[in-house]
Amino acid sequence: MKKHLNDGDLRAALDGELDETGLHHLESCPVCQERQNLIRAQVQQAARRLSFLSAPAGPTGPAAQIALTHFNQRIKNRKDISMFRKLFASPLVQAGLVIVLILVGVLSVPSTRALAGKFLNLFRVQQVVVVPVDFTGMQQLTGNQTLGKQVSDLISSSITTQQKPGNPVTAADAASASQQAGFNVRVPQGMMPARISVEGAAAFTIKVDATKAQALLNESGRSDLVLPSSINGADVSVNIPASVTVSFGTCPDPVAQDSAKSLNGNGSAGRQYPDCVILAELPTPTVSAPPELNIAQLAQIGLEFTGMTSDQAAAFTQTVDWTSTLVIPLPKNAATYQQVTVDGVTGTLIQRPADDAPQYALLWVKNGIIYAISSLGTNSQQALQMANSLP
Amino acid sequence: MKTIPRPGPADSTPAARSFEQIFLEHWDAIYRLLVRMTGDPAEAEDLALETFFRLHRHPPQEGEGYNPGGWLYRVATNLGLRSIRSFKRREQYELRAGKDVLEAAPENRPAVLFEKKEQDWLAHQALAKMNSRRAELLVLRNSGMAYKDIAEALGLSPASIGPLLLRAEREFEKVYRALDQKEEA
Repeated sequence: MKKHLNDGDLRAALDGELDETGLHHLESCPVCQERQNLIRAQVQQAARRLSFLSAPAGPTGPAAQIALTHFNQRIKNRKDISMFRKLFASPLVQAGLVIVLILVGVLSVPSTRALAGKFLNLFRVQQVVVVPVDFTGMQQLTGNQTLGKQVSDLISSSITTQQKPGNPVTAADAASASQQAGFNVRVPQGMMPARISVEGAAAFTIKVDATKAQALLNESGRSDLVLPSSINGADVSVNIPASVTVSFGTCPDPVAQDSAKSLNGNGSAGRQYPDCVILAELPTPTVSAPPELNIAQLAQIGLEFTGMTSDQAAAFTQTVDWTSTLVIPLPKNAATYQQVTVDGVTGTLIQRPADDAPQYALLWVKNGIIYAISSLGTNSQQALQMANSLP
Repeated sequence: MKTIPRPGPADSTPAARSFEQIFLEHWDAIYRLLVRMTGDPAEAEDLALETFFRLHRHPPQEGEGYNPGGWLYRVATNLGLRSIRSFKRREQYELRAGKDVLEAAPENRPAVLFEKKEQDWLAHQALAKMNSRRAELLVLRNSGMAYKDIAEALGLSPASIGPLLLRAEREFEKVYRALDQKEEA
């Protein structure tokens, strides 16, 4: 063989990957050998620089069987979270909010109730309670497109919007935000916000067609749940005041789809935005409903629908003052929660497992304002410090 | 054409065992590759789990050339390179790579270890800056993969690996030297 080997073949020969014919030529060709020596020097140089890739692994990682357990847990968490997102991010969001507000309810302050007249019950949020929910029971609803569309149709035909919030507006500082939002916006002392946004007020009314709603329950396999006749045609008005979000650090765009996508698909949003902390401040929404509408009964139906047994739902319903409590349904396996003292009142700290896109949210209600501090990081103590430094 | 069956958690069906077998067979190698690439055990575990999550969610179709191991290596390498690109600051890298371990080294060794860490940092940066495809090739080869396996993982012919590898090594050296000169300046 007279034709000399090309550089690629000479490179492959260094790794013992050249075919026999090529090797035979190389053994007898001083020209190719000399060229190979030059290439060898380059290859060895690169190999030295990249030696960390072939070094014996340092710290021992989790054994495969344990890693598989972590993996299964991650899958389960993502399913729960995905279900949670679907539930509150589809057309159901608006309804979700409405349902929560209806089911959740909130109590009237006597003087305001008097203003509302004797025909209405007026509700205001005074405290936050978390209820663990097994969202796997909702899969039939959210996974069934026909049923999902029927739910969306029912919701959209039931809601009449009086006021849309519009796009958030950036405020220069807390004073400006307070002026725009109409309440005293609090910013933690000694911290410089990256952004302050004001979201406009919203208002809508709901008039539920009980027959259609019951038909949907039946179709989703829950004919055992019977809606009270008092819901039919009942006018429920919801007013959500202007709210403010104060961001610290580098945060994902709250409007962009990517933030949800990164949490669902790439799993490491907590690593991408570890220093992002968002403080939200929302004056309590008000819900007015006819007095004959039994909020506790509707709440129990809602809880049973999301997977609680009748006994569990009844027991939980009895522990909650539905006229003054914001109830947050939380995926059972995706997060833990605890009561904490914050800003001089009792709040709730919700945390996701730290091994998968860690997140926490701290919620409390004070002087008619609902506060929430949330982050993709792990340092929930920071949230408590922030909350306790509010002026 | 068949696909890797997806298991449910705690599922003991034959389909689930098939995915589990792949997981158990390849976990250690994928994790170790990522530890070497990122220098951070926690990041490596996170990325390794993400690698298997992608296999679980979008398994490659089984057919001619079907090679879940190669597929896993390729995805893990991509995720590792993406992670390296996110090392925006040297301090962050050093923290991830165990600066505390470095500082706790015996008195006569810190200088050597420090120099090695400097070189590793530059090599990581060079991998992050160079052509992604060539960086993948370098990572796979320098992790000990044979040409045939690299070719399967990257969808190339085995005969093309030698020339491509040489090109990758030349680009790597060029980028590394440029970074080194910039550091010295």
